[in-house]
Amino acid sequence: MKLLSSICKSIFASAFAVSALTVSALAEYPEKPVTMIIPLGAGGSHDLNARVISSILPSYLGQPVIVKLMPGASGQTGTAAAANAAADGYTILFTHNFIDQLQQHVSKLPYDPNEDFVTVARTNYAAPSVIVKKDSEFSDIDSILGYAKENPGKLRFGHSGNWGAFMVPGAMLFSKAGARPTLVPHKGGGPALQALLAGDVDVSMAFNSVIDSQAENVKPLVSVSPNTTIEGVPTTDEAGIPDVGEMGIMHRVVLAPAGVPEEALAKLRTAFAEMQEDKTYKRMLGKLGENTEFMDGEAYDAVRLKQSEEYGNLVRNLASN
Amino acid sequence: MLQELFEGLLLILRFDTLLMTGVGLVLGILVGSLPGFTTVMAMAVLLPISFFLDPLVGIPFLVGVYKGGIYGGSIPAILVGIPGTGASVATTFDGPALAKKGKSRKALDMALYASVFGDATSSILTIFLIGPIALIAMRIGPPELAVVLALSMAIIATTASGSLAKGMVMLAFGMFLSLVGQDPIGAVNRFTFDIFAVQAGIDLLPMLIGLFAIPEILLAVESRISAAAKVNKPEGDPLSWQELKRSRRTILRSTFLGGAIGAIPGVGQVVAAFMGYAAAQKAAPNPETFGKGDLDGIAAPEAANNAVNGPTMVPLLTLGIPGDNITAILLGAFVAQGLRPGPQLFADQGPIVYALLGSMVIACLLLLVLGWIMIPVFARVVAIPRAYLVPLTLIFAVAGTYVYRSNPMDLVFLVVFGLFGYGARKLKFDVTPLVMGFILAPPLEYAIGQTLLLSQGDMFNYIVNERPVTLALLALIPVLLFFVFRNHLFAGAKGRPGAKPGARNVPTKGG
Repeated sequence: MKLLSSICKSIFASAFAVSALTVSALAEYPEKPVTMIIPLGAGGSHDLNARVISSILPSYLGQPVIVKLMPGASGQTGTAAAANAAADGYTILFTHNFIDQLQQHVSKLPYDPNEDFVTVARTNYAAPSVIVKKDSEFSDIDSILGYAKENPGKLRFGHSGNWGAFMVPGAMLFSKAGARPTLVPHKGGGPALQALLAGDVDVSMAFNSVIDSQAENVKPLVSVSPNTTIEGVPTTDEAGIPDVGEMGIMHRVVLAPAGVPEEALAKLRTAFAEMQEDKTYKRMLGKLGENTEFMDGEAYDAVRLKQSEEYGNLVRNLASN
Repeated sequence: MLQELFEGLLLILRFDTLLMTGVGLVLGILVGSLPGFTTVMAMAVLLPISFFLDPLVGIPFLVGVYKGGIYGGSIPAILVGIPGTGASVATTFDGPALAKKGKSRKALDMALYASVFGDATSSILTIFLIGPIALIAMRIGPPELAVVLALSMAIIATTASGSLAKGMVMLAFGMFLSLVGQDPIGAVNRFTFDIFAVQAGIDLLPMLIGLFAIPEILLAVESRISAAAKVNKPEGDPLSWQELKRSRRTILRSTFLGGAIGAIPGVGQVVAAFMGYAAAQKAAPNPETFGKGDLDGIAAPEAANNAVNGPTMVPLLTLGIPGDNITAILLGAFVAQGLRPGPQLFADQGPIVYALLGSMVIACLLLLVLGWIMIPVFARVVAIPRAYLVPLTLIFAVAGTYVYRSNPMDLVFLVVFGLFGYGARKLKFDVTPLVMGFILAPPLEYAIGQTLLLSQGDMFNYIVNERPVTLALLALIPVLLFFVFRNHLFAGAKGRPGAKPGARNVPTKGG
């Protein structure tokens, strides 16, 4: 049974790793394919990013990369599986910062994210913007925050799911400003956008590619980002809301179980860094509307500790009311 | 519009488009017919291939995988009684019974024709009614969805076989099981007893395979003593024109039902299949044959669940909003090609949009041809001697459950549901209401939770003042329920008459 499943997986994986079939015969890491666990479901943006990575990375790693989707319990199932896997460099985790650093504050986990994992690389990030309908009475972020402050619970903020890529930055933004909207979850960004267009909710969030394609229907008010992503739209820092820009963006990160051999970690980090220069990689991610803003593992490990603290504060702040 | 439609069709009538659509269909059928591999998974894996193809080749290729996958689910449902997806559960009511009668070829043919007709008709209707469907989709929010789902549940519940009380118990149990895991609105753990492996909740696929495949295997092992059980039924003759003609009303009815359900975002194929089955049974002159191997019982759910496909594309094409994972992957394929679905694309590149809608119809027609070629091969499955088929089914059941999301806990659920299903058979409980409650309760709960948040604590005024569509739907409930329960009131509650619980799917002697 296990054999069958791994055969099937290898077939799928190898279909995109043809270039990697020239396996190096050296008896050093990696000697066999590397499994990349994604704690999210098929068809999401992480899955799509991973398909690109798993088709390019093998040429830099010298072994195929097998994508293993393990969704469930807000990403905890896959993360726990990676934490329990042998720390030999043959299992890595492709996750994002909200699963990685926020879940520990809202749930009892069988692992400790900062003790049990080290960062291999941050492959890229996605910065969302606050959006309203084109004909909305709100014309800038201050008017929304003002309204939400004066009418607690009146403003309806539609997001893409609890503790996800829109809820966290949204909640951070409002709670830093001392405002309390009603948070309405949706099953993904699509339904949340539809709710905004239908007028079910007053405000929502979206990534740039969506904002571009919906330019006639929505207007962005502020970008949750450390630097300008849409011309003419202020960032949170420029709008006078500190820290959200750095903490509220979604980082796509590759982690390895702690205790992974030095040489394996070094090899993985190098392979990911080298992949950044690959033209096909850049082109494919560009087609998906993703950036390739790489950050190396050591630098990102420092960001993680800060995230842990900030998200802890956010959860406590939300829970205190 | 007609001119744009015509231009669009010309764009896709080329050899490479047709070839890749065919390749996609074959891949889709193979993946769909293996339990555990989902259509979404296959599309996500194959998406990068489409990046390197011309948009008018790459996207029809994915459409092929999609259509093939949805159709493929009916094959194991008919041949071995394992529904690969929720959408093919209703197909297991009559499919295996037909296979046991030596009519598996007819059942597979019927599933193909009904699927293709439902899909093609709904795609064509979608092309002409794209504006109105888009308007409906925008009017449906959480409160409307909640009403539609509750209503569907009530109607489908009337089709359960056996005693009403037993059906209700199973329905409630299924609804309860769906609560296990993380609460989708509040993100709080429920009924997990602090066991980490249970936090992810119970997934539909291990449950389906457990409830349907394992009891079948156990019963087959049990009937081993009967020497006659070793003899296999051949796959039988193909479906005759007469038989197809006899089901034409059922296929038409299911197609329109499925199309209407598809226009309401968030309801989906599972509900459509059950509704199609329920409606066919209510309209049939001989409802007692349903569940015992009636060809109408294949035609009804298969036409209905495929007819959902056309209208679900509308929010994606008109607004650029994907409603589910499949449309999200298609959106990825569009965006990667520099095409951004939405009003702008329609205005600027109308022919391309129509070309893609047209490719859905062409994929259906190709499916018909490919199905013709592949069905005789699949139908041979029933000719495999029992001694090999039963262990093979077990291997596929277990492997499929694990492959699905590589979670060992799912295997535990598989075994538990298998034993539960076996016990339920023996005690004459129908497991269908359990599956139904399990599938329908989460979206219903989610929609009600969203409605509560949106209404900000004042549900009554919110619905009366802001949701006229919800009010209209609520007013419809008594009328619809009267029609549905009329037969029950005047003819005595029969449910799926004749389909004695436990009788369905049980290997008969000599079969």
